[in-house]
Amino acid sequence: MGKGGRTRRERSGANSALGIRPGRRRIRPGPALPVPALLLSGCQGRQSVLDPAGRSAEAIADLWWVLLAGAAVVWLAVIGLAVYAVFARPNSHDLGKTRILIIGGGAVVPSVVLAALLVWSLHILPVVHPPVPEGGMKVRVSGERWWWRVTYLTEDGREIPLANEVRLPVGRATAFDLVSPDVIHSFWIPSLAGKVDMIPGRVNRMVLEPTREGVFRGACAEYCGTSHALMNFEAVSMAPADFAAWLERQAAPAEPPEGPVEARGLELFLGYGCGACHTIRGTDATGGLGPDLTHVGSRLSLGAGILPNDPEAFANWLAATHVIKPDVNMPHFGMLPEAEIEAIALYLDGLT
Amino acid sequence: MEDRADIFGRRTPRRLRADLGSLFLIAAAPTIWAAHFLLCYVTAAIWCARIAGRDGSLDGARLLVAAYTAAALAGIAVIARSGWRRHTYGGQATVPHARATAEDRYRFLGFATLLLATLSFVATLLVAMPALFVETCR
Amino acid sequence: MSTDEEIRRGQEERLAAAWATPKGWRYWSAVNNSEVGLWYTIVAFVFFLFAGVLALMMRAQLAVPDNDLLSADLYNQVFTLHGSVMMFLFGVPIFEAFSILIMPQMLAARDLPFPRLSAYGFWSFLIGGTFVCGSIFFGAAPKGGWFMYPPLTTEYQDDIGVDVWLLGLSFIELASIAAAVELIVGILKCRPPGMRINMMPLYAWYILVVAAMILFAFPPLIAGDLLFEMERAFDWPFFDVERGGDPLLWQHLFWIFGHPEVYIIFLPAIALVATMVPTFARRPLVGYSWIVLAAVGTGFISFGLWVHHMYTTGLPAISLGFFSGASVAVAIPTGVQIFCFIATVLVGRAVASVPMLFVSGALAVFVMGGLTGVMVALAPFDFQVHDSYFIVAHLHYVLVGGVVLPVLGGIHYFFPFVASKKLSDSLGRVSFWLVFAGFNLAFFPMHISGLRGMPRRVFTYPEGYGWDVLNLLSSIGALILAAGFLVFLVDIVKTVAFGSISERNPWQAGTMEWLPTIPNPAWGVRTVPLVESRYPLWDQKDIVATYDRGGFFLPDAEEGKRETLVTGTIDAEPLQCLRVPGPTWLTHVAAAGTGGVFIFSTFHWWWMAIASGLVGLGFVLAWLWTGTATIPEKPEKDVGLGVTLPLYASGPKSVGWWAMFITMLGDMAAFSGLVFGYYFFWTIHENFPPEGTVGPGWRWPVLALALLLAAWALTLAARILNGRGHRTGFFVALPLAMALAVAGALALAAGPWFTGLDPTVNSYAATVWVLVVWTNFHLAAGLLMQGYCIARAAVGKLTPTYDIDIHNVALYWHFAAVTAVVTVATIAGFPLVD
Repeated sequence: MGKGGRTRRERSGANSALGIRPGRRRIRPGPALPVPALLLSGCQGRQSVLDPAGRSAEAIADLWWVLLAGAAVVWLAVIGLAVYAVFARPNSHDLGKTRILIIGGGAVVPSVVLAALLVWSLHILPVVHPPVPEGGMKVRVSGERWWWRVTYLTEDGREIPLANEVRLPVGRATAFDLVSPDVIHSFWIPSLAGKVDMIPGRVNRMVLEPTREGVFRGACAEYCGTSHALMNFEAVSMAPADFAAWLERQAAPAEPPEGPVEARGLELFLGYGCGACHTIRGTDATGGLGPDLTHVGSRLSLGAGILPNDPEAFANWLAATHVIKPDVNMPHFGMLPEAEIEAIALYLDGLT
Repeated sequence: MEDRADIFGRRTPRRLRADLGSLFLIAAAPTIWAAHFLLCYVTAAIWCARIAGRDGSLDGARLLVAAYTAAALAGIAVIARSGWRRHTYGGQATVPHARATAEDRYRFLGFATLLLATLSFVATLLVAMPALFVETCR
Repeated sequence: MSTDEEIRRGQEERLAAAWATPKGWRYWSAVNNSEVGLWYTIVAFVFFLFAGVLALMMRAQLAVPDNDLLSADLYNQVFTLHGSVMMFLFGVPIFEAFSILIMPQMLAARDLPFPRLSAYGFWSFLIGGTFVCGSIFFGAAPKGGWFMYPPLTTEYQDDIGVDVWLLGLSFIELASIAAAVELIVGILKCRPPGMRINMMPLYAWYILVVAAMILFAFPPLIAGDLLFEMERAFDWPFFDVERGGDPLLWQHLFWIFGHPEVYIIFLPAIALVATMVPTFARRPLVGYSWIVLAAVGTGFISFGLWVHHMYTTGLPAISLGFFSGASVAVAIPTGVQIFCFIATVLVGRAVASVPMLFVSGALAVFVMGGLTGVMVALAPFDFQVHDSYFIVAHLHYVLVGGVVLPVLGGIHYFFPFVASKKLSDSLGRVSFWLVFAGFNLAFFPMHISGLRGMPRRVFTYPEGYGWDVLNLLSSIGALILAAGFLVFLVDIVKTVAFGSISERNPWQAGTMEWLPTIPNPAWGVRTVPLVESRYPLWDQKDIVATYDRGGFFLPDAEEGKRETLVTGTIDAEPLQCLRVPGPTWLTHVAAAGTGGVFIFSTFHWWWMAIASGLVGLGFVLAWLWTGTATIPEKPEKDVGLGVTLPLYASGPKSVGWWAMFITMLGDMAAFSGLVFGYYFFWTIHENFPPEGTVGPGWRWPVLALALLLAAWALTLAARILNGRGHRTGFFVALPLAMALAVAGALALAAGPWFTGLDPTVNSYAATVWVLVVWTNFHLAAGLLMQGYCIARAAVGKLTPTYDIDIHNVALYWHFAAVTAVVTVATIAGFPLVD
């Protein structure tokens, strides 16, 4: 799975050596830029209940199709009966028989059908919410206004922090601990499973088992304040070997800046105090309030699933933070000279 | 208006006297349902939160739920029987019990009691059903 | 003949004088149900249109992806207000308003038993509703969602929006409860002679059930609001996890209200359907008892569904299962009702009409909402669609099919009753098809956008997820829907301005609200008939003629007083000739004063709030003093047909006693909400009370309980002594009871006070204090009532024979005593048990 922003970066290179079209930088008034073009093509279905790619979601989708068919039959029967009743010849039906209608149609049939549905739904509950597997890797996701703090707790006891992206090995059950330090959020990857709330003071659990590889999109499903709509993330299911390689890479500290502009970017990043809130492992930035940025350039999107991952988007984010994501905790840096923003953007983009 | 004396409640046979009890009787079976429901919920909640733990076995609570359910169904059945008797007062079930007499009022309340008891019976079974399938506190 | 005619004219003149609607600006001092009910209905409908405009704003924003028409902040205010207004200012009030308007005539009563309470409720509703809606014009509207989940709303929104929601809507909830009490007493005690409980119109059955549901559903929310506001204003940590609180407590209290609320809104609309279907099938509804079953059954089961809004909060599977079971069970009574309606039409002779068109549309829409409701009742499916647009579709199918369409049909149906003119059939059909088509176009696609993963309450969405076209369709549908409402409004304006007077009983209905002439004089009911059928207008051949010549009960107002009949709860045998009060301004000031308490508290202007509360209280007392328990000039009067009835009744025979009893049941429900909080915390915490926390001990609380039980016993003794004519005993017992009550209240507060329990430290201390404060608040009210009785007795308004006041106060004290017992057992006894 490649990085979404690459193609665009190369394309826009014609406009500016730094890959940033100056005219567009600050003026984007809308709250969000579209997600990367690469992802766009396959978007439809990436967040759909109807296109399941996980054990739990598949069981629920099966339930849904049966419910849909049953509901269609019931609806047509009831409405058909009502239409018939309106147009039937008066006095052609005797009162006694309508009692059978009320008892049968109103009471007995629904009771039986409902009992059967209840049994079925209880029966699949262990598939939908499977028990937490013994041992193995665990992922802790913390919903915070309005991004996701993700920590991989590996079997050998390491804690690997990242943000706004979840990757999973396909065909394996991975346990999640879902928490929140501020308000109630809800962790939802429709393609893989139903949602589970993240409630301050509680640790809710969830198990995800992807059944095929793919890039999916998750969202916060519980209203969590101003920018609730802008709290999304990417969920990637990968072949186990790819996954292991990816995780190792995420565990490693950041590589030093590639070129002089990037080096200047790091310097500015630290100089402006970004490190008070963000960590870039391997540098002096060790803050814990905001997302870990060690490998931010490797992620599929920025700003919790709302921007493509390219230098232009980094620059936009730095300059117009509050236009893009109203009320977010991060201060905006629109007062910095363009060149400095561009340097920081290039540095961050290079943190793959 | 020949039966005005009846309308004013003066000629009503003793058994048919209007009392609030007969009105509350129609609510008795649903009340049992509600009590059963709350007991099941509270028992399971306390069991899982304070006794068995998050992944603990639910067996003790399931036994209790079974006991509650048996008691509730028995109570509802008794009420249903009383409703049936009232419904058929005078030897015949004369739905729709639509006459302005104490007899029909009595039969109507009996019938409503019977219907609500039946609904409560089914609803109690539906509520108890999860205890058959769910084995742990997860 | 001519003397008959003269007698009749004389009667009508006296009735008209007694029931005359005030003229000019005094019109607004009217309290009669036909005025208050009408204003109430109009205002609720205006709020509905307002919330509809908010919906259009949302649809405009979501018409295209990445739109920036509304800012995130404004959008969040708009969706919060849309839901809150629809639920609290339209859904519940519209049916209360409508019932106040039509229920008395349906029961052939001249008014509900407490007209001034209705007026007070209406003016409170107007003040509170305007306050809540107006907030958005100052950008200060609530933006926490209509469910207001903490900690977002306790710790992360410190503007006044949340307080506007909490206090403004609490105020309206009180008005709703007042109307519910009024309706319950009206239905149980003001039916016409002969209308035994098996003869009641189904509309009355439904409203009885719904009013009872309000009585048990709203109070837990008010208790929740109280905890919430205590946290916001005074930092009592009920929902703050750092200090032992829990945000889920609010969710429980909110949804214990919130789920029955759906049925509170839905059942009255079905009641309208049950009223209209027999008329247009030209036969009695098939399955009367089954409908009663459905109404009562739904009323009960709807209280066992609340957790199905909390399936994703991580509760144990077994809990989800219980609620899932109850959630599917509730579909059974709903199905029964629908089949009763279909069976009626099948057996009867269907007559085409605009009201039936709306009913048919309602059926098609509602059945679909019901079916998706069964789907979301199943926990696994709900895990996926919860908080997605699928739910938005589902709930609108339920509420538009189950409420809005029947209400529109009901407006068509009852328009001749209210405005004496019939709405246009052709415009009615146009508006129906626009509303129906627009609605389906707007909301059907939302099922799909939800299944494609679109979350709710998002102010924007990215393009390319399969949501774009669906959302555009939804927005176009919303516009068509709005056009349908526009046609509807045009029709109303046109009919009121240019329509001609309708004939009497224009739909040839069988129920009694169609008995009077059109237009109906202000007296409402010319004479209270003797009822012998569920559909008297169909089955009682000479009822209209007898009615017109005043041949039943109370055909006259000899003393120039407003009078109506009080009858037995079960068999509707005549019990009392009740005199109801006329126009007044006292209720307006009382409502404004009460409103001030809530509105000033929003801004933390505590002194103003207290002053306003005292003004309100003063006017409530003045209203009670001058308008209730008035001693009649003679003990009884001839009400016609050879029946003589007393003019005054106290104790369980009086409507006031019933109102007190019913109100206190609601009060107990609120108290249970607070007690639930205490035991909820105990369940979720390993240590509750937390280690090292000193509780109130047991000595002070037990002393308090002893004092309070003595106060209660003395109050009871005062009632009995007064009834036996021992005035001295009364004047000794009641002041003594007051003294003991004061001592008991102080002792109760002394427990946590002297052990230094600080309510801001942890949830335990806060819960103990809130129980103490709640109990003491009730004791203060009880003291006021005792003082009121002493004053009434001193001036001769309370005598051994005329003793309503002390009966009601003694009844209140029964409940106050229960409150004290439970509070003491909980705060003093429970930690010991643990």
